Amino acid sequence: MKQKFLAVAASVLALTAMVTGCGTGAASNTAATNGSNATNSAGTSNGTGTTNGKTIKIGLVTDTGGLNDNGFNHLAYVGMTNAQHQLNGVSTSVVQSQSESDYVPNLSHFAQNGYNLVIAVGYLMEDAVKQVAKEYPKTDFLIIDDNITGIPNVASAIFQSEQAGYLAGVVAGLVQKNHQLKGLNTKNVVGVIGGQDIPPVDTYIAGFQQGFKKEDPNGKVLLQYTNSFSDEALGSQYAQNEISQGADIIFPVAGGCGIGAINAAQSAKVYAIGVDTNQAYLAPGTVITSATKGVDTAVFDTIKAVQNGTFKGGVSTFNLANNGVGIAPLMKGVPQSVQTTVNQIKQQIISGQIKVSTTVQR
Amino acid sequence: MIFSDPEIWAATLSMAVPLALPAIGGTFSERTGVVNIAMEGIMLIGAFFAVTFSYWTGSAWLGLLAALICGGLTAAALAWGAIRVSADQTVLGMGINIFAAGLTTFLLNTLFGFNGTPINTPKLPDISIPGLDKIPYIGVIFQNQSILVYIMVVLVIISHWFLFHTRLGLRMRSVGEHPLAADTLGINVWRIRYFGVILSGLFSALGGAYLSIGVLNGFTPNMTNGRGYIALAAMIFGKWTPLGSFGAALIFGFSTALGIVLQGQGISSNLLQMIPYALTILALAGLVGRAVAPAADGIPYDPRRS
Repeated sequence: MKQKFLAVAASVLALTAMVTGCGTGAASNTAATNGSNATNSAGTSNGTGTTNGKTIKIGLVTDTGGLNDNGFNHLAYVGMTNAQHQLNGVSTSVVQSQSESDYVPNLSHFAQNGYNLVIAVGYLMEDAVKQVAKEYPKTDFLIIDDNITGIPNVASAIFQSEQAGYLAGVVAGLVQKNHQLKGLNTKNVVGVIGGQDIPPVDTYIAGFQQGFKKEDPNGKVLLQYTNSFSDEALGSQYAQNEISQGADIIFPVAGGCGIGAINAAQSAKVYAIGVDTNQAYLAPGTVITSATKGVDTAVFDTIKAVQNGTFKGGVSTFNLANNGVGIAPLMKGVPQSVQTTVNQIKQQIISGQIKVSTTVQR
Repeated sequence: MIFSDPEIWAATLSMAVPLALPAIGGTFSERTGVVNIAMEGIMLIGAFFAVTFSYWTGSAWLGLLAALICGGLTAAALAWGAIRVSADQTVLGMGINIFAAGLTTFLLNTLFGFNGTPINTPKLPDISIPGLDKIPYIGVIFQNQSILVYIMVVLVIISHWFLFHTRLGLRMRSVGEHPLAADTLGINVWRIRYFGVILSGLFSALGGAYLSIGVLNGFTPNMTNGRGYIALAAMIFGKWTPLGSFGAALIFGFSTALGIVLQGQGISSNLLQMIPYALTILALAGLVGRAVAPAADGIPYDPRRS
């Protein structure tokens, strides 16, 4: 019996190792590099700002959510693909991380192979990026949702998602308080589902709570964490739990896991608010709006900077003022007055009249 | 008191299905003497083809059928390797898991693209049995559960009866305990083993289909999230019996449900997250007493050489 367990344990380890291996092996799947002598040296003298941009290689490492997360990993991919199509001489490649232990090998893989820019999607890759960036000072890195400072070859894109969350909260508060959507109950409860108790998730949630409370001070916000960004069935279960407690607007901030929550909201004929990207297509008639962040823009701009030789390390902040975060168009059926209020509050946030805190109320 | 809330039991039941089905499947396979750790992979195959055919044909039931066929075929490949070729069964099973994870992700992105499977994919119906839903408390537990929940309950009972109260069940167990003795009595060891392994494939695929077209109506890569391995633990925890596997699956399902409900009481989610895994370790550390595997489990049998 013991032997069997050892065997199973060993194979699980082997699986992890092999999947990592596979992941790295699959790196060359997209857009093969054009020109084998594309390596730098000559590249630097190639002038800047020409329409025929310098040839650069971009590597994207997703976190465990993967490209199918309908969220920020996918958005980063969209940004990179846009760059590939719109800028000349950009070739791209993707590796999806299967587990957190893949981060360092995946990042190193691109750096080793002479990629000019390596994009790390996600706060959870912070330590991996710090480590690998120091080992490969000639490679540029971009990390999404994090603020690494003091390493010249690392740029960080940080999103003030609390502002987007705030607007989403305002929408939820308004329709909840005035029962402005068909089928809302009278319990005045909304449910938030976080993937993990970490800053990029919590900023959204904090903003949502404040925005909701502003419009609907007597309403209640449920908050639960799934501790998964990928388990859809689990996300669905959490949503069902919140719905059973009376929540009829669900706001999941949990990557792929949240997709299950939206699915559950749709089945239970209640409403949901999407996250990261406009997720209305996942459940038309269920998703009222989405709190969005422009990961695609951040990625595109950074690629452009690398190509033009203007890449700079340090933190860039994306917020409502520079359209780096925002809110998706409201669902049909939501009164125009809600949109008007949202627009007003957006201006108040931009002007600094409303300050949105990043602390989650528990 | 949270335990008096029927919601927790409803969640327990719903989270137990994708563990109980593959665990019972594994029981059938291992009872005939073939170690099956490929449940995770076969679940993924089942989940993926359930969605694909459900979308293509417009009928969730045909999707379910396709899941069973594909799961059965995958299990048949495992069976052929384990029985005919006498390959190492643990390695084979792991190979299938890796293959399935890669194949389903590749097919998903090739057929449907990164935005996932179409949202109008039909799913299996959620039903409330008339009469049952009138009973207070119990009614809430069974309210709007997927039809596969009921099918699972029926399958648990049938499986137990089949394995312990029918002639074929007895033969399966004998082949797993002492194949040579069974062979001398005229039982075709290979055929019984093929039967057991393929049966396990059908159960695992059903578990996968529950996730993709029972709870949800879409497929995402690795959507089983290690449930096939937890099912392996449930099978051992349940001492290689269908009823035991079901009981173990309920305990694992309950720990997940408990995690969900307790969070509403303000307990840290990080602590609650470990409950299912802590339970798994306790289970495997022998909390339930010695779990004895079938004697010939994992040992290939070659009638020509004996």
